[in-house]
Amino acid sequence: MTDVERLFRTYNAALVRYLTRRLGDRDWAEEVAQETFVRALRQTSIQNERAWLFAVATNLVRDEARKDMRRRKHLALLAEQERETMVEPEETTLERAQEAAMARKAVDALAERDRLALLMREEGLDYSEIAEALELSPGSVGTTLSRARRRLVESYEALQKDREAREKNAAS
Amino acid sequence: MQHLDEGTIHSWLDGSLSADEAARVEAHVKECPQCASAVAEARGFIAASSRILTALDNAPRGVIPAAAPKRRIDPFVWRVAATVLVVAAGTLVVVRSRGSNERLMSPPSDTAALVTKATASEGAATAGAPTTSPFDHTVETAGVSRAPASAFSGRGAARNSISGAIKGRYEAPREDARLGVGKAAGAGGVTAAAPTPPSAAIFAPSQIAGAVAMDAAEPQQLKLVGTPRRIGAKVSLYEVAPGDTVTLTESVPVQLQQTVVTGATASAVSPQAGRKAAPQARALTDAAARGAAAADSQPGANVQSSSGAVSAPAPAPALEMVSTINTIRWNDPVTGATLILSGRMSVARLQEIKIRIERERAAAAAKKNP
Repeated sequence: MTDVERLFRTYNAALVRYLTRRLGDRDWAEEVAQETFVRALRQTSIQNERAWLFAVATNLVRDEARKDMRRRKHLALLAEQERETMVEPEETTLERAQEAAMARKAVDALAERDRLALLMREEGLDYSEIAEALELSPGSVGTTLSRARRRLVESYEALQKDREAREKNAAS
Repeated sequence: MQHLDEGTIHSWLDGSLSADEAARVEAHVKECPQCASAVAEARGFIAASSRILTALDNAPRGVIPAAAPKRRIDPFVWRVAATVLVVAAGTLVVVRSRGSNERLMSPPSDTAALVTKATASEGAATAGAPTTSPFDHTVETAGVSRAPASAFSGRGAARNSISGAIKGRYEAPREDARLGVGKAAGAGGVTAAAPTPPSAAIFAPSQIAGAVAMDAAEPQQLKLVGTPRRIGAKVSLYEVAPGDTVTLTESVPVQLQQTVVTGATASAVSPQAGRKAAPQARALTDAAARGAAAADSQPGANVQSSSGAVSAPAPAPALEMVSTINTIRWNDPVTGATLILSGRMSVARLQEIKIRIERERAAAAAKKNP
C-alpha cells in the first residue's frame, strides 16, 4: 500500500496530465491513471516505474478497462486531497478556448506513436523510458520526436493561419 | 563530418546523446552554419510544441458521460417517461372498459396493440428492478406509483429503463412484432407481461445480450454491438475488430402497430440486456436513449457514440481511427429492403463484411423459418 501511495504521489500529476492531453477529458484521465496505479498494486516488482506506468496507462486507454471499483475509490480520495492543494487554472477565455481547440486538432492529427512519444517526453520521460513504454528502438526515439514536433507545430500554424484568414474575412 | 539529421539534433537538445556524441555534435554545429540553423529551428519546434501541448491542460471534465457523476437526468428523458406513464394510464382505462373476455381471447390486432402497449410501459417503469409483479393486478399502481421509486431511484436504473422503453418502441422488425403479439396473447396476454420468456422477445435485445456475452470469444464472427434506433430503418452496429465498427442500415417501413407492440417484447428483456452491458458500457444507455429518441438526427453520430460505449476495447474513436467513412449499398433479394453498410475502412473490406453479414442473415432467416 505504502509503495503504491508513493508511486501515486510521485507520478500521478504527470500521468494525469499526459492522459488528459491524450484523451481530452480530465475525469477520464484520472480514471485511467487510477486504474494504472491499481495495476501497479498487483505487481511484485517494477523495473522502471515511470516507463511501466506510462506504458500501462497507454494500454489502458487502448483497452478501456475499468475495474476494481473499491480500490479506485481509495485512490479517488487521494486524488481529491491532491486536487485541493492544486491551484485551479484561471478561467478560460474565448481566446484560450480557441487555442485549446486548435491544439487538440493539431495533436489529434499526429500519428498515434508520434503523439504518445511526444506527450511522454513532455512529462519528462527520457529516451530509454519512451522506447520501453512504446516498444521502440532507443535509436528511433529522436527521429520520432523530431517528426512529431515538426508536424504538431506545422499543423497548429496552419490552423492558426486559417483562423486569421477567416477573421479577416469576417471583419471586411 | 556529415550534416546532422533532425533526429540527432533533437536527441542532442533533449540531452539524450552520450558525452562523446554530444561533443561531436556541438563541435560540428559550431562550424556548420547550415546545421546551426537546423538546431535553431529544432529549438523553436521544441518550445512551440511544449506551448501547444500546454493549451490542452484546460481539458473539460466529463466529456464522456460515464465519468460525470453529478449529471442530471436529461429533461427529455423525463418527458419521455411522463409520456409513457400517461399512455399506461390511458391504456388501463381502455383495457378495463373492454372487460376481461377480450383480453384472454386471441385478440384482434388493435387490442393486442393496446394491451401490449400497457405492458411496455410497465416494463419501462420497472425495468430497473427485474422482479416485476404481474401486470394485471394493478397497472395503476404498477405503472404510476412505482415509476418514481424504481425507475428514477438510480441514475443507471433510470437510464436503463427509459432507454429500454424507447428501444422497445422502435425495436424489432415486422415479423418479430407479429410474433410478439401472438406469444403475448397466447401466454395469457396481459398477465404474462413481465415473465414473458426471453424467447418471445426475439430479435434485437437477445442478440445484443448474445453479442455482449460472446465478447472476445470468436474474433472471426461479426459481433453485433448495438442497434441504435431510427424510425423507418433498422440500424445494426457490428464490430469487426476491436475498435472497428461498421453500421448496417436497413430501410423498414414503419407501422404504428409494430412500433407499439414491440415494446412488450423489448421490455421483457431490456433489464437483462441492460445489466449485461452495464459494467462495460455505462454510456450506452444514455447514448442509445438519445440516439433512439432523436430518431431523425443523423444516424452516424449516434452510431459513433454508442460504438464507443458498447465495445469495451474500443479506444477513443475520434483519436485513433482512420478518417474516412466509406459506404456501400445493395438490395436484399428476399425482402427488397435497401441495405446500407458504412464504416471507417476500405470499400473492399466493406464488401467482405457485406458477404459475412449476408451469410449471417441467411442463417438467421433459416433458423427463424425452418
